[in-house]
Amino acid sequence: MPKESKFNFSQAFSELEKITEWFEKGEVDLEEGLKKFERGLELAQKLKICLKDAENKIIEIKAKFSDESR
Amino acid sequence: MKIFQVSEFIEHINSLVGSEIHIVEGEVSGFSVSQGKWVFFDLKDEKNEAKVGCFMIAFRLKTPLEDGMKVRVIGLPKVHEKSGSFRINIEDVQPIGEGALRRAYELLKKKLADEGLFAPERKRPIPRFPETIGVIASAESAAYGDFIRILKNRWGGVDVQLAHVQVQGEDAIDDITNAFLYFNNAKIQPDVLVLTRGGGSLEDLRAFNSEEVARAVFSSKVPVVVGVGHERDETIADYVADLRASTPSNAAERVVPERGDIGYEIAAMGKIIDSAMERIVEEKRSILKHFGFILRGYVKEKLAQVESLLGVLKSLSPAEVLKRGYAIARSNGVILKSASQVAIGETIDIQLFRGTLKGKVIGKL
Repeated sequence: MPKESKFNFSQAFSELEKITEWFEKGEVDLEEGLKKFERGLELAQKLKICLKDAENKIIEIKAKFSDESR
Repeated sequence: MKIFQVSEFIEHINSLVGSEIHIVEGEVSGFSVSQGKWVFFDLKDEKNEAKVGCFMIAFRLKTPLEDGMKVRVIGLPKVHEKSGSFRINIEDVQPIGEGALRRAYELLKKKLADEGLFAPERKRPIPRFPETIGVIASAESAAYGDFIRILKNRWGGVDVQLAHVQVQGEDAIDDITNAFLYFNNAKIQPDVLVLTRGGGSLEDLRAFNSEEVARAVFSSKVPVVVGVGHERDETIADYVADLRASTPSNAAERVVPERGDIGYEIAAMGKIIDSAMERIVEEKRSILKHFGFILRGYVKEKLAQVESLLGVLKSLSPAEVLKRGYAIARSNGVILKSASQVAIGETIDIQLFRGTLKGKVIGKL
């Protein structure tokens, strides 16, 4: 969601979705599971913070559209 | 008075009247297109019989025409050099009145539909979490205000780039198509474009029903959401859009998700991961337990086997045999297995469980 930080909401969200899918498949690899578990919780935490804090930024483009192509 | 030759006369008349743009209103009659290049029709008054010929180059014709349509033509009067017939060389033609606009709308809609501009298979998905949204709207309009307000209520962290354009009137079509060009040629293109304005009459919505704007939406590399007016307003731009929103507010709703919904989704995913992890750990623990149980049983069984083997071994040892009353006879240290191994009178040793006897052979049986 926010551009200013390196954190990309869209990417983080889809990574969390993939991790969730992995767990839903019912894999039981403990080592892999622990890694994904930690990553998943970290992502969820960051995403929640993002949801709370982010503001929209509005920029008006300076170009004048009426005269551009004439 | 000057006497003209015919061609000179026509040239003279054209020089008198042919340089001033005129606007003429009337009804189209005898509309035809020749070789796909030249457009001919007569413009006539409804009340009296007056009519005037009109000519235009086909590519200049931006709006579909047909007989009976009320139009306003803009062009230069001209007398044809060869036939001497009088006509208007048209630069632009616009349908006027609700009826003509409605008809032009229907004709253009059909034409663009036949060309595939509305085809569902060409509609592109809108990214779920857009970071940059290009908005093409009038900065002062209520439509833009609504869009920004709803956007803010629903979602954050978005860069909104506003291209302020006229959404009706003379400049609207150029403004809007230029804004599409601007965003599509931008170094970093927005993730989605939103074209929006409030509702209005067909006259107000003319730009949104124009072929130029329809083609700008169609050829945009960036997916386009169009949200015009009230729910019931339908424009050609709506049909071409990748996503049609019913109002400017609805455009904001369609273009970004809602904080609460996404928060809920994140929490739900966290829960799934959490309980799945718990299940994995529980599963491993029970496997370990089960394994321990099996291992213990195995060791016990093996121990019992070893013990019984030891017993067998023990029972086979000579000492154990002697214990049961058997004896070993030897002559000079050699164990005797046959009576023929010794002669009568020889001395032999007889080992018992406890102690050894010395004896003499006194006979053989």
